[in-house]
Amino acid sequence: MKFQVKVALFVVLAIAISGILYALYMFNMKHPDTASAKPDFVITSTILQKEFEDNEKEASAKFINKILEVTGIINSITPADSNHLNISLKTGSDLSSVICTFSPRPDASKFYTGEEITLRGECSGFLMDVLLNNCSIISERK
Amino acid sequence: MKRLLLFAFLFNIVLAVNAQKYMTKNGYIGFFSHTPLEDIKGDNNQVAGVLDISTGEMVFQALIKSFHFDRALMEEHFNENYMESDKFPKSLFKGKITNLSSVDFSKPGTYDVTVEGDLTIHDVTNKISTKGTIEVVNGGLNASSKFKITPEDYKINIPGIVRDKIDKTLEVTVNMKYTPLASK
Repeated sequence: MKFQVKVALFVVLAIAISGILYALYMFNMKHPDTASAKPDFVITSTILQKEFEDNEKEASAKFINKILEVTGIINSITPADSNHLNISLKTGSDLSSVICTFSPRPDASKFYTGEEITLRGECSGFLMDVLLNNCSIISERK
Repeated sequence: MKRLLLFAFLFNIVLAVNAQKYMTKNGYIGFFSHTPLEDIKGDNNQVAGVLDISTGEMVFQALIKSFHFDRALMEEHFNENYMESDKFPKSLFKGKITNLSSVDFSKPGTYDVTVEGDLTIHDVTNKISTKGTIEVVNGGLNASSKFKITPEDYKINIPGIVRDKIDKTLEVTVNMKYTPLASK
């Protein structure tokens, strides 16, 4: 075989293999690990909820799909379905909170109502509450 | 005595009103579809729901972006290509239990119910009817149901290459743990 043909074959093969590897990498890509990711915003649960309540459209554009580091006081702890745990944080409103979903479920007995925690999660938007997914605990203050 | 009776009467009404609405903000809706390549499974644990046991009316509301997938790419495709969640961020169900009289809310147990109503996904509303159960437990109600929906009915376009490989219908699972709504 001619040298040029060999080189051409090698190049084609290399491109094909890297294409397949890239596709596999994309296919298997996991969600960003919020425990180590750099937060886009550092905010308290009260201010975050107020921004959504005052102007949902603006706050949606600002926060959705961003990683937020939120500090607040635990309002309730609810083990949810399929290995998830929901922790809701108090805000300035009695009817609305910041609901944070953890998956896989951390040990619920580690937390208690009234405790201040800082967590990081991806913002999904606002329903009656501000919703965060893919959350990780950053720190707890008893 | 008259005043006492009146008081008892009013107190009863207040109690009855208190216990009529049940609510959750931590409800679960998931969907599942089997394909030869792999199973498609999305979970949402942030569903808000209210159930009025005096009329049987129920409302569910969910954010599309709260559906979580194991694979990040699948979640991205779900939001951007199929559900267009930036344009249509919410999904809503408004319906009614049609056989409300067969549920005894004062007696713990599991009761079969039929629910009919309007389901809005991707800004398209369709009438659906499904069977489910209501479990009366101490301090609350658990409602669950499983039903099938067809993405095409909601103008969710599945590209040709994928369409033939996945089921025409998705299985939807609903699990709600309601607690009484405390009126202030």
